[in-house]
Amino acid sequence: MTAIARTVVLDLRTAVAYRSQALLLFVVVALIEFKNPILLVPALALLAIPAIAAFPLQAADKAGLETLYAVLPVPRRSVLYGHYAWALATYLALAAAGAMFTLAFARAQADAFDGRTLLVVLTLSWAVFVVNVAIQFPLFIRFGHSRIGGLGTVLPVALIMAVIIKLHLTTRLHVTVASVQAWLPLVWVAGAVAIVASVAVAIAADTRRVR
Amino acid sequence: MRVVLSNNAGVPLYQQIKEQVGTAILSGELAEGSALPSVRALARDLRISIITTTRAYTELAAEGFIATIPGKGAYVLPMNSELVREQLLRQVEDGLQAALNAGRHAGLRRDDLIEILDGLMREDQQDAVR
Amino acid sequence: MCSDLAFALRGVRTTVGDNFALRDVSFELPTGYVMGLIGANGAGKTTTIRCLLGMRPIQTGEIELLGHRVPGPVALRQDVGVVLDHTYLVGEWRLVEVERALRPFYDRWDGSRYRQLLDTFGLDPRAKVKDLSRGMAMKLMITVALSHQARLLVFDEPTSGLDPVARDELVGIIGDFLLDEGHSVLFSTHITPDLDRIGDYVTLIHDGRIVRTGTKDEVLDAYRIVRGGPDDLSGLVGVQLIGARRTPTGAQALVRTEEADLLAERVLVEAPTLDDIAVHIGARVPHPDPGNGASRGPEPRRGAGRRQSDSSMPTREIA
Repeated sequence: MTAIARTVVLDLRTAVAYRSQALLLFVVVALIEFKNPILLVPALALLAIPAIAAFPLQAADKAGLETLYAVLPVPRRSVLYGHYAWALATYLALAAAGAMFTLAFARAQADAFDGRTLLVVLTLSWAVFVVNVAIQFPLFIRFGHSRIGGLGTVLPVALIMAVIIKLHLTTRLHVTVASVQAWLPLVWVAGAVAIVASVAVAIAADTRRVR
Repeated sequence: MRVVLSNNAGVPLYQQIKEQVGTAILSGELAEGSALPSVRALARDLRISIITTTRAYTELAAEGFIATIPGKGAYVLPMNSELVREQLLRQVEDGLQAALNAGRHAGLRRDDLIEILDGLMREDQQDAVR
Repeated sequence: MCSDLAFALRGVRTTVGDNFALRDVSFELPTGYVMGLIGANGAGKTTTIRCLLGMRPIQTGEIELLGHRVPGPVALRQDVGVVLDHTYLVGEWRLVEVERALRPFYDRWDGSRYRQLLDTFGLDPRAKVKDLSRGMAMKLMITVALSHQARLLVFDEPTSGLDPVARDELVGIIGDFLLDEGHSVLFSTHITPDLDRIGDYVTLIHDGRIVRTGTKDEVLDAYRIVRGGPDDLSGLVGVQLIGARRTPTGAQALVRTEEADLLAERVLVEAPTLDDIAVHIGARVPHPDPGNGASRGPEPRRGAGRRQSDSSMPTREIA
């Protein structure tokens, strides 16, 4: 466990080096949610969280950190677990911050919206996060961010768009907070399962690439 | 201790170290019991390989000049009179050989050389008497 | 003096892509010494080092590192410092952040040593990794290795791209490191003058095979440089010319010492430098003319006793 904790901290220090990129993402997010604060969490989940979660993998390729991981006295598997743990931590921190900001904003506007709406939004953002990370990470770990960064970024987004379009065609978007409520626990559990499966795929696909 | 290595002397580095340390000991510049740098410190200071310095020290030790203590370093052994005599004899031979070579170029014969030697020895004795 | 080995490779084979492989690579370094791994670019130095460090899998053979079989326990990496020809740190990190990032991983990290070495090397703790020159980047990697108190330093091409002053400093750093007889250094290079003096052991690698390994003197004694007129080195039987070079005024080649006696008397035979050996062994074999293929040199007379690994050396015989 301590080895994983150490790599999470290392990932944090790596990601901090990309803070200007992260700042840019936050500016874009702020522009999107300018009109409707309820969009803050989904905007974060779509734009900021997956990118920030992938910073260490990006650096692993660009700055040769794969070599560092091979030189440091830390098991390879802990490095991979650490990357996923870092991604989860990123989601938890940013989603929580986004939710609190949204609530505070609504309160200030005296625009008390339903707490359940926020829960749906959080669940949606979890789904978006899971789709991104579960697909991207094994690809980045296997092939390297510089080689497959584009596809890795586009693929989850395309998948999410496809699902939305499909839902739109079949259900005519009769989605209401009440109608999806029963599905929320399932989304959380399915997401967790997907992450675990992704970790397994990443470990199997990892060839200990070292530059 | 003073060791000056030449890269172009045509003499192996270990040999140069050995000769210079040996000469310093014979001349009394390095007194009995004085400590020498460790093999590794000397290698670092001279920027040469450890194997080279080890070889120089090993041969100095084999000829009775120094004793090495593993992990510590080396020190100069008391001068054994036999050893000193041997070294001095070698110096005499070297000197005479040089004289012989010069004599050959000058076309001197054996008798001429002996005469010169006798003359030098007489001068030496007179100096001593005075 | 320690009699155990810093590392040993025995019969290592690994394939890299479609057209390069290490074949039957075997050599070892006793603890407490410096070894130079000499070879031209593409000879297999980096691949060898990566196998040694457990960074790439091997197909056959075995590797021993600091008394453990590779891949050993992860804790083994506490004792190994790796200095490559590039840094493998985040470029945006300042040198103080490098310490904060790496320190948690090492049991014996010495923070005061880190700061002291930065100071000694003239590295500004506020500087960013990406702004360091090549020489400074190398010194940073050495600082890291010495701060976690490695017992084995592995350098891959440390001196390529370094100016003479920095190379000289490196020699001094290695000397300091080796004051402890439990410390060893492996040093891959194609610049041999650095090794002429401080190298204890030398391993020659060419085209994925070990051509010769031993103490520096053994390796130097194993070869002779021969020089002669344009025709003096032609049509020799029982002498393998290594990396022969011919001009209208003369010819030069490397030969094995035991074969040097077979050469004509008027051929000049000299002791080589490491550079001579590296140049001739690393020389590319020109492709023989298709119609002339049969003249690619007679089978050496004393071929039976020859080391297997020698047979891959480039040779050229003019019929």
